[in-house]
Amino acid sequence: MNGDIILVIVIGTALAFDVTNGFHDTANVVATAISTRAIAPKTAVAGAALLNFAGAFISLKVATTVGKGFVDAQAITTTVVFAGLVGAIAWNIITWYFGLPSSSSHALIGGLVGAVATASGLGAVNGGGLFDNLIVPAIAAPIIAFVTASVAILIVYRIVGRLRPGPTSRGFRLGQIASSGLLALSHGTNDAQKTMGVITLALIAHGNISASSFHVPAWVVIASASAIAIGTFSGGWRIIRTVGSRIVKMDAAQGFAAQGAGAAVILAASSVGYPLSTTHVISGGIMGAGAGKRLSAVRWGVAGNIVAGWLVTLPAAAVFGGLVYEVSNLFGHSAVGPLVIIIVLLLALGAVFARRARQAATVPAPQ
Amino acid sequence: MTTGAIEVHLLLRVLYTAFAAGVGVSLVFSLGVYGLIRSNDMRRDHRTLAAVGFGALSGIGLMLTIALIVFGLILLTHKS
Repeated sequence: MNGDIILVIVIGTALAFDVTNGFHDTANVVATAISTRAIAPKTAVAGAALLNFAGAFISLKVATTVGKGFVDAQAITTTVVFAGLVGAIAWNIITWYFGLPSSSSHALIGGLVGAVATASGLGAVNGGGLFDNLIVPAIAAPIIAFVTASVAILIVYRIVGRLRPGPTSRGFRLGQIASSGLLALSHGTNDAQKTMGVITLALIAHGNISASSFHVPAWVVIASASAIAIGTFSGGWRIIRTVGSRIVKMDAAQGFAAQGAGAAVILAASSVGYPLSTTHVISGGIMGAGAGKRLSAVRWGVAGNIVAGWLVTLPAAAVFGGLVYEVSNLFGHSAVGPLVIIIVLLLALGAVFARRARQAATVPAPQ
Repeated sequence: MTTGAIEVHLLLRVLYTAFAAGVGVSLVFSLGVYGLIRSNDMRRDHRTLAAVGFGALSGIGLMLTIALIVFGLILLTHKS
């Protein structure tokens, strides 16, 4: 009975994480198109939510990597999955509060790794899998996006550089509707699968699915797709401002190149099962499109702050994940620990959102 | 527990696929925009033949853009 209650809490928490993931990452998908006025903010966010939902059905390779690639399946319990999730949510909310784009994906995996390491020791963490499937792609993907966007914008300017700016800009704004859509689709493909992987891990730990025949049930796919779409629809204006205009002021052609490069990298990575951070990739694309035009156009200071946020995410979420596991353990192996933590988390979330709402009342969202 | 060496071929696949798709789509879409704008300019100057030529370039560029995107998505769904 206790196991069933914890499983329900874990699934609820995983879906809540998926909502925060969509909420947190809305900016990555729509900021560029909004900042160049290619799409109205509300239309962009609604379209991104729909395409996030659709994207979640494209592939399951990333879910398999998250479910099998980072930790020993024998070390996984529902409480461990719960602690990892809460650690990731806590880190996501902190970075959202301060307007810092971090990686929801790395927060999730960091939280899980921290909880597993605390519960079963470092030996239960698949260091090789973590390095191959998370750290190397995490470093490579933004660089690939940067180079792709730089080369793309150089070619674009070579072709349309001498044309009248008005019609050219209108043309690329239309293009941005497509590139934005592709980016939203790729976001759903890569990010929703991380939640699917985690819920499947919990189902394995609970005994609903055999560890030897890893598969993602259809209801998990539908629930995860819906949760990320709801989160995306809720939006995140603070981070939209940071990603959309503070890294680099861009024109429509740059926005098109940045989004096209970002979507291409995320979709290519999804096809081989790499759980990427859309934040890393699109920021790399934006900087590449800016640097391709003029190196000084990129505000490297802001970009540096973002990189610092990325570096901190994995260890910080791991610490949170470990702490939550320890606190949960204080109540033994019953469902009381996770219930108490959920109540505390909800109270903290309520306080954070109330404070943010009071601040938002004085700073209106862009229209 | 470790998986050993990095699977370089997977990383390379991401590298060349993403680069080809990202740069390729920008290239053909730019040709489409270029063709469209030049075609309108030629039409305004009553240079019909040139307008048709640039119109064709525009059509090919925009159709190739759509074809590349659809092809990429089909490839992704088949490999996953």
